[in-house]
Amino acid sequence: MMNSILRNKNKLLIILFWILVWEILSLIIGQEIYLPSPHAAFSALLNLLTSKDTYITIFFSTYRTLGGFFLSCVFGIFLGIMSGIYKPMYDLLNPLIIIMRTIPVMSIIIIAIMWFKDTNVPIFVAFLMCFPIIWTNTVSGIRSTDVKLLQMCEVYKIKRIRVIKSVYFNSSLPYIQAGMVSALGIGWKVTSAAEVLSLPKYSIGRFLYDSKVYLEIPGLFAWTIIIVSLSFLFEALLKIFFKFGDKYD
Amino acid sequence: MIKLIDVSKKFDDLTLLKDFNISFEKNKITCLFGPSGAGKTTIANIVAGIVPVDKGCVEGVDSSLFSYVFQEPRLLKWYSAYENIDFVLKDIYKPDKRAEIINSYLKMVELSQYKNYKIDALSGGMAQRVSLARAFAYPSHILIMDEPFKGLDIKLKSDMISLFIKMWTKSQRTVLFITHDVEEAVNLSHVIYILKNRPLDVVDKLIVDNTSNNKEKIKSILLSD
Repeated sequence: MMNSILRNKNKLLIILFWILVWEILSLIIGQEIYLPSPHAAFSALLNLLTSKDTYITIFFSTYRTLGGFFLSCVFGIFLGIMSGIYKPMYDLLNPLIIIMRTIPVMSIIIIAIMWFKDTNVPIFVAFLMCFPIIWTNTVSGIRSTDVKLLQMCEVYKIKRIRVIKSVYFNSSLPYIQAGMVSALGIGWKVTSAAEVLSLPKYSIGRFLYDSKVYLEIPGLFAWTIIIVSLSFLFEALLKIFFKFGDKYD
Repeated sequence: MIKLIDVSKKFDDLTLLKDFNISFEKNKITCLFGPSGAGKTTIANIVAGIVPVDKGCVEGVDSSLFSYVFQEPRLLKWYSAYENIDFVLKDIYKPDKRAEIINSYLKMVELSQYKNYKIDALSGGMAQRVSLARAFAYPSHILIMDEPFKGLDIKLKSDMISLFIKMWTKSQRTVLFITHDVEEAVNLSHVIYILKNRPLDVVDKLIVDNTSNNKEKIKSILLSD
């Protein structure tokens, strides 16, 4: 108990230290446009938090991020399991995944703007960015499955579908979970980026874009703080969900 | 009777079996006795159909079901003891019947009160007992035991052996028992094959009866090998 209080106190001190560094830097630079002071950023944040539009915006951006994330989980896990088990499937998909991993986000965003309605662009982009991570992790998880367990299933003539569900899937679960956590973090980043270019009506990206146009830099910082906090929040929720699943499966 | 007839098996350049012949009597415990790495496990795997033969054939295993007690428990660690046995029975029995079978076998290996424990929470000896219960709960015709008592301490080993005898007496089936432990071989088996050389040869076939004279004689033969 005492220890955890001390640890939290330490954490708080560290955060305060970096805010202090930020404050000093902004004092030295002395121009809000380059680096607003923490005070300006947090008062912009407070301002935002009193407006109803902020919450609608957060809701829609969250919907897009989670939408893309959810799609990439469904496809990434399913195709990852298949590719991990069946080599031809892996050989077929692997080049595509390598390309997906190396294409610049901006190229995907711009091409997606041509293809989709503005609100769906970020979902698609988040999907394309998260999918390879989850797929790759799932494939490594499947490949880490203990051959000895598979041999045991063969002896006991367990049906293929049950081997996949009970042995392959459970063996790769830690890999899949790690993949999901990193994919979710990336999902937040690319969704905002895609929103900046596709400008859906309610989106954090549109506000980021406006801050640039109107040189509203404290606002930019405030929205950035919101994105980072959302990212932390959902990562924590995801981890709680995993823990819950472990306990009650 | 299960027969391997003129079986050959190569792994890369290593000829493990060449025109190899052996037979196993139905509902008897037959021991494959020999040094590690000789190819005893390969014979068992050929019988079980996990390893294909290069040449020759296996008779008497058509439509047989197999169960296996491996050197290590080979249980699914994300499942409980109960679920691990349930896992191999699911395609065979209805739920009611399954519950009845699993509970009775868990009772036999004295793990009833641990049935809902995840495998990770059990000791190595307990896990191996679950593995033994799984092998007997499964309606196999042929049971393969591949050095199942290796690495257990003396007390656990003798407990496991008496459990095995109890279970086998209740539910007899053909057993292939692999070991290089003289005591285990003599105390458990009806027939002992001494295997040696590369490619593998059956050096001797010993019939164990329950007179202590015979047992001592067999022990000394096994020890001299």
